[in-house]
Amino acid sequence: MKLAYKNDTFNITLIVLAIIIVFFLSVPILKMFVGVGSDKLIDAIKDGEVISSILLTMKVSLWAMVFVIITGLPLAYLIARYDFFGKSFLEAVIDIPIMIPHTAAGIALLSTFGDTGLGDFFKFFGIEFIGTEYGIMIAMMFLSAPFLINAAKDGFRKVDPKLEKVARTLGANPFRVFFAISIPNARKDIINGALMMWSRGLGEFGAVIILVYHPMTTPVLIFDRFSSYGLSYSAPVAAVIIGFSALVFLIIRFIANRFD
Amino acid sequence: MSYLSIKHLSSSVVDFSLKDINLEIDKAEYFVLLGQSGSGKTRLLEAIAGLYKSRGSIFYKEDEISKMNPEHRDIGFVYQDFALFPNMNVEANIIFAGRYREIENKEEHFRDIVDFLDLQNLLERSISDLSGGEKQRIAIARAIYAKPKILLLDEPLSAIDPTFRNSIMKKLKEIHRRYDLTTIHVTHNFREASYLADKIAIIMDGSIEQIGSPDEVLNHPKTIEIAKFLGFKNIFSTGLLDQESKADYFSVDPNLIRIVKEQSDCCDYSFEGEIEECMGITDHFKLFVNVDGYQFFIKIPKRDYENCLSQSKQSVTIGFNEQDVAYL
Repeated sequence: MKLAYKNDTFNITLIVLAIIIVFFLSVPILKMFVGVGSDKLIDAIKDGEVISSILLTMKVSLWAMVFVIITGLPLAYLIARYDFFGKSFLEAVIDIPIMIPHTAAGIALLSTFGDTGLGDFFKFFGIEFIGTEYGIMIAMMFLSAPFLINAAKDGFRKVDPKLEKVARTLGANPFRVFFAISIPNARKDIINGALMMWSRGLGEFGAVIILVYHPMTTPVLIFDRFSSYGLSYSAPVAAVIIGFSALVFLIIRFIANRFD
Repeated sequence: MSYLSIKHLSSSVVDFSLKDINLEIDKAEYFVLLGQSGSGKTRLLEAIAGLYKSRGSIFYKEDEISKMNPEHRDIGFVYQDFALFPNMNVEANIIFAGRYREIENKEEHFRDIVDFLDLQNLLERSISDLSGGEKQRIAIARAIYAKPKILLLDEPLSAIDPTFRNSIMKKLKEIHRRYDLTTIHVTHNFREASYLADKIAIIMDGSIEQIGSPDEVLNHPKTIEIAKFLGFKNIFSTGLLDQESKADYFSVDPNLIRIVKEQSDCCDYSFEGEIEECMGITDHFKLFVNVDGYQFFIKIPKRDYENCLSQSKQSVTIGFNEQDVAYL
């Protein structure tokens, strides 16, 4: 390891403090796998309720991510490229869900999409949010969309506007420029933001449980088993979702790097 | 009507505006727009390409193109930093326009450009692995591949190593002729302009100040500001010459002012002055002489003088001939 300064006291202080935080971040995860034991882990993987809840969580988080890619990338591009009245306010609005308690977000969503005019409007099209996958999706989306939008905004800001201008002179209309130049050159940030959003969606609990207890997402299932049967029943489920998430995360990272 | 005709073009942003630009550019002309940084050169090119909103009209032959979107104007653009697409390799950059436009004989055209600009070995390379000169050739190739009616070059030589500039200037001229282009080239370098241009326009603070042939503009600037920008030195009132003149000011090249050793030796105009400073520079001395409050700047070759005339306040006679005076 090459260190910036040849000052032992300084370097040792940095390393010790870094080890403390790395220990804090990694040990609970390792403990989850080591402490659970392979038998219980295998049982959890074979448990149909666990697997269907993991698949449900991953699937709905993926829907939420796709929805925000379709609607959030244009928003991120608008903010990155144009100056307009109320831009700072809009950026603050996008960040609000990151700052509020998740249960409060659940209550806000319930009072908006529950038994209200807007809820009835969606019901008319067959979309209900209470106790359905749509409800899980909006809860995940509300709290994790800012990660994708902000990352995409940073990515678009890094794309030199001259690239887009030259593409226009070469015959590409603004839509084609967006898809051929802007998105591909901001892809690293977009992929990072999408992964962050997806993984935050997987872990969403506070807002989801207020809108949808059944069907159970994995965090709700973990809570359910913990409150009904205790730690030894909930820990294997937690270990499995962590394993699945890490696996998917690594596969997507690998694919993204291959395309770079 | 000219090949490209720009009429009363103006464009404003918060702190800058292009003011009533009028230009007539002929077919196959190499037109150089010469101006300092911040004078509005790039903005004018972008307005011509339709990349900025502007008022006024732009006509290509008889057709008004100022209402068209950039993708329909058929104008090629090469930026100063080349703006190559990092998400594509060299070949994909060059043929980018082919995705969106019909290009006649595109295979043959592509091979011709690649051969002429010597890009064969670069086609598979990533943009990040290229030198400034290679990037420039690719940016030009990309613009030419689209077969533009007009090619706009925004300071194409400023990011190039000075060693290669002369050969690249030559190449630019060859490209212009080979592909029968009408080119507008923006630069702040008047040497570049004098080599390349069929016609030069001087742009200052968003306005076109002078248009003409290279000889006309570079040797007979219309105003003192243009003269200063073009590197004219020793600009003084014609009153100093004690003669009636149409012009208010004149200028003399520092290389053409002589130190008079004997009165018979010289000159149509001669003046007594005091040396203020003498600086030795590689092969010449820079001499600053005060003549009745006017400071003359003179360059004298070292081979003519062993030592700098360094005695401050030393009296000296300087002189120059009428044929070396440029009236402004």
